[in-house]
Amino acid sequence: MRKHKEQFEKNISRLVKSTGQSQIPSEQFTNNLIDDALNELQQDQPGRQKRSTFMKRFVKTTMSIAACFVVAAVLLSVLMSPVRKVSRGHESYSAKNGELVAEAKDLAKRINPPRPPAPYTTAKQASPKPASPAKINQDQILLYTKMQPAQESIIVGASSDQSLQMAHGGTTPPNGEPVDAMFFKNYGVNPFVDTEDDHLSTFAIDVDSGSYTLCRSYLQQGNLPSRDAVRVEEFVNYFDYDYPAPRQDAFAVYFEAMPWQFGAARKNTHLMRIGLKALEIPDENRKPAILTFVIDVSGSMSREDRLGLVKQSLALLVDKLRADDKIGIAVYGSQGREILSHTGLNNKQRIMRAIRSLESEGSTNAEEGIRIGYDMAEEAFVPGYINRVILCSDGVANVGATGPEQILKIIKDKADKGITLSALGFGMGNYNDVLMEQLGNKGNGYYAYIDTLDQAKRLFSNLTGALQVVARDVKVQVDFNPDIVRSYRLIGYENRDVADVDFRNDIVDGGEIGAGHSTTALYELKLWPQKEGNIATTYVRYKDADTFAVSEFSARFETSQIAAGTSAVSDSFALASVVTQFAEILRQSYWAKGANLADTLAKARQLTAAFENNADVTELVELMTRTNDLLAKTADSEDALEPASIEYRQP
Amino acid sequence: MQEQPSGSSSLDIRAGGPEIWRQILARTIPQLYGFFVRRGVHAALAEELTQKTVFDAVCRPEQFDPAKGTPEQWMFAIAHNNLALEMRNRQSHAKPDTELLKYLEVLDTQPLPDEVLERKETAELVRAALSSLEDKEQQVLRGKYLEDKSALQLGQAMKLSEKAVHSLLYRARIALREKLIHLAPQFREEQKI
Repeated sequence: MRKHKEQFEKNISRLVKSTGQSQIPSEQFTNNLIDDALNELQQDQPGRQKRSTFMKRFVKTTMSIAACFVVAAVLLSVLMSPVRKVSRGHESYSAKNGELVAEAKDLAKRINPPRPPAPYTTAKQASPKPASPAKINQDQILLYTKMQPAQESIIVGASSDQSLQMAHGGTTPPNGEPVDAMFFKNYGVNPFVDTEDDHLSTFAIDVDSGSYTLCRSYLQQGNLPSRDAVRVEEFVNYFDYDYPAPRQDAFAVYFEAMPWQFGAARKNTHLMRIGLKALEIPDENRKPAILTFVIDVSGSMSREDRLGLVKQSLALLVDKLRADDKIGIAVYGSQGREILSHTGLNNKQRIMRAIRSLESEGSTNAEEGIRIGYDMAEEAFVPGYINRVILCSDGVANVGATGPEQILKIIKDKADKGITLSALGFGMGNYNDVLMEQLGNKGNGYYAYIDTLDQAKRLFSNLTGALQVVARDVKVQVDFNPDIVRSYRLIGYENRDVADVDFRNDIVDGGEIGAGHSTTALYELKLWPQKEGNIATTYVRYKDADTFAVSEFSARFETSQIAAGTSAVSDSFALASVVTQFAEILRQSYWAKGANLADTLAKARQLTAAFENNADVTELVELMTRTNDLLAKTADSEDALEPASIEYRQP
Repeated sequence: MQEQPSGSSSLDIRAGGPEIWRQILARTIPQLYGFFVRRGVHAALAEELTQKTVFDAVCRPEQFDPAKGTPEQWMFAIAHNNLALEMRNRQSHAKPDTELLKYLEVLDTQPLPDEVLERKETAELVRAALSSLEDKEQQVLRGKYLEDKSALQLGQAMKLSEKAVHSLLYRARIALREKLIHLAPQFREEQKI
């Protein structure tokens, strides 16, 4: 609602301003802008000095390296061409190296005398930036984190001690950003909403877990992830909460609530969990699958042997498929091409030969590769089967006539026709999380990030769920009772917001859910004291995966169902609470202000007894411990920010 | 030909204090705004681009090199680049439908495309709708968005409390939208004639 109000105000402001005919801005605008600029100038002085010192050091180092290259190149050219001259003089290179270099430098100076600095130029006059096909939607705020020393920032983008090689072949950076950029998007943090202003909370479900695995990869490499990489709902949805599956219905819904103390500023709040579990389908009842792999074999995929991991993951998937399934493969480097037409699993050797033959090459013509993949999928399309394109990439698209908007449009159109897409992300450094997530979202499939073979195994362990969708366009609307609930905030799902009025508008996109998959949404609630009754009614609306028939059901949750304390709730709810706190702290949410990771870690450790054989929970505790250590290390470093100056994400 | 600022100064802003910046900004901001408007950019976007240019400059004063030109020339070069970037971004998107009526129903969810705001007809329609509002509503909308006055300043001028200005603004915005929806079809017919 608040977002709508802001959008409305902005539009009205722009409309009224459009009536202005003056070529001079208002005096007030000029004065306000001068004041703001001077404030910025004063506030930013220390930070800039710090950056400027770093930049100086960086420039100095770069210049030294460049100088070494120049010297080496000059030496080489001198050794190659005037070799005969020197030979004629019977002089040894070793004795004359220094002089030769000096001579070469003098020569270079004569040929290229130092130029006066060029006057200020515009983009048009300077080398034009190529129209970038990989440009992300202009409304997005793209952040990138360059490889840099850990102490430069409290949040470090990627490994500081790893000198990752530059991408081969496809070295044209996406959007003109450095090749090692990691692209994430800041979706903001949901605010507390007064039920008097808006008692409806509507969102599209999300079963992705890419954000968790990507952040795990950061932490395992000894770095804190960018806070924009953290999507709370994807952290929460990574874990299995053991919701019982429905027997007949498409969904079962589960509620739980407990008193919750998180962050310094709030007391007497509650955490409410809404869990949705989709119908399970036995593997033998799964529909036959026509899968089209579109594999990125560009230069960037040779980094950290991303392509090797793709091959291993695909081999794993092929092993789990049935004889009535089919696989086709398209690849894209500098150009897209088909390398295997759709082949039945009874010819597994042919499929495996095609997978083994993949080699990285050239730049990244994602658009062409995706088009070819979809052409193949359309040709092999069988109504009633699972028709799915599986894209394996690091999300970097730097060649092609059109931008990602066009790619996303193609994917959306095809998804509407029944060819869905799953985006599997590979790679750390030069990785585009934003595009991969959008591809999975628009393609009515899912987005997963694969950093290890174990992750691939985990993903394909429920292959039926990964492939067969049981409900499409699933939307959830929670109608809070203003007599009981004073205010609420949805934790996460910031990029899955649906306007309240669009809940029953079936043209508006929701989320897809695979067989046996579950999804969890958490709300922090402030309740009116000593009131009893219905807290909320939750409506779930979805389309049948095959017939597209729309169904809706609702469930109520009462105050009497709130647990008396944290010890009275299920272990799985306690786990969800810990995961939420971890993600909120990692993304520096405004609502995590004053929260202490050590406290959350202690709660997580208590849970290990209840989840003794659960590798995911063991790993979570390990990751939280690492994070705690990294935060402590950062706090000890010279450039650590004062707690008061940590910039928490404002709702 | 590349537009150049008038009244260029030879001040070195790299180590300059706030006073030097104030002088330069007071002179350059109106010139920058005029530069954007003359390039056909609508007023709201001209303000946004002016703000962006100024902030690009104050956040990176170390990039200014007096050997290359004056601070004003430097800021104009940034402005040219920002405008080029804006146009490039625009070209990379499909051209939107510029029929205003289509967007009026979704003013609270969809951003108005720049192309719509740059149509003469849009400005004329908004002017007509504004003039048909009650005096107080007109005054508060013009004061807020054309003169950039705060609610406090508007309240002082109109002898109202700040809270009353906020509610008046709220009502005026809704009234303007209703007027626009009401007038748009009629206006389109008149344009055809």
